[in-house]
Amino acid sequence: MSVASELIRGNTETIILAQLMKGDGYGYMVNKSILSLTGGKFELKEATLYTAFRRLEDAGCIVSYWGDETTGARRRYYSITDLGRESYRLRKKEWETAEAVIDKLLAEGEKGVSK
Amino acid sequence: MNEKLRHYIDDLFANAPSTVRAVELKEEMYQNLTDKYNDLITEGKSEESAFNIAIASIGDVDSLISSLTGDKRAESETGKKRSALLTAIAIALYILSPVPVILIQNEMGVMMLFLFVAVATAMLIYNGVTRERYVKADDTMVEDFKEWKHHGRQKNKAAEAIVGSFWLIAVCVYIVVSFMTGAWHITWIIFLIAAAIASLIRGLFMLKQ
Repeated sequence: MSVASELIRGNTETIILAQLMKGDGYGYMVNKSILSLTGGKFELKEATLYTAFRRLEDAGCIVSYWGDETTGARRRYYSITDLGRESYRLRKKEWETAEAVIDKLLAEGEKGVSK
Repeated sequence: MNEKLRHYIDDLFANAPSTVRAVELKEEMYQNLTDKYNDLITEGKSEESAFNIAIASIGDVDSLISSLTGDKRAESETGKKRSALLTAIAIALYILSPVPVILIQNEMGVMMLFLFVAVATAMLIYNGVTRERYVKADDTMVEDFKEWKHHGRQKNKAAEAIVGSFWLIAVCVYIVVSFMTGAWHITWIIFLIAAAIASLIRGLFMLKQ
């Protein structure tokens, strides 16, 4: 986990919602997708992943169901709800606002350097 | 190797409650770790390092598992409070039981006394019967001790019964002595003596074991 994990931790649920916006998925699939999207730089810990799934499920943002694989053990799939989609949009907007604010504030430091 | 993963997860969940939620979470975790493990093997990792990488990716499950037990512990906490309240009220009733006899100096007062005692005894018995069994919360020595103590308490049912009836007898002695001597200002000492004797009885039972 080479990416600053504190910065990402606050957005774990949004990241998972973003993955589920593409379609239903199970835990390892979501994590694998995150790993390949970040070029192997970031991966959620199992415990973090399941905690986030439980919280999202309790909040009604996602629902889960057991798949009916014919071979091997069954997987638990998660599916995003309308509430979850709405929540994703809100969280994304929140992040964009925060990003803009932080960018502006941190850019001040560069001014000092150029002087 | 899959057996090894299975054992590892079984150990992780050893203290989790046996609820549907916990069992499902365990199954889900096992399935995902197996997928990961198989992928790592396909990538050319050795069995040993694939297992270690999979285990390392689990992270801290303590908070996850305690979120499963959370509700249960909270219930037990309110149960403890309820139990303490019942006991406190029952003891207050025992202590107050002579008051009606002092205030109403006839049969009515005595009847009130027995009513007080009956209600208090009923509360103590109800409390004893409905108290939940103590289940270890984790693997520490303190928890082991609590469970052992609770176990001992179950075994001590006989001692508890004797002490229980002993208190009723103490109240009767107090009333009779007080009425006969009229020395109400001093007879309450009987309760202090009774408390000492009750402790002695418990101690004797402990020695026997």
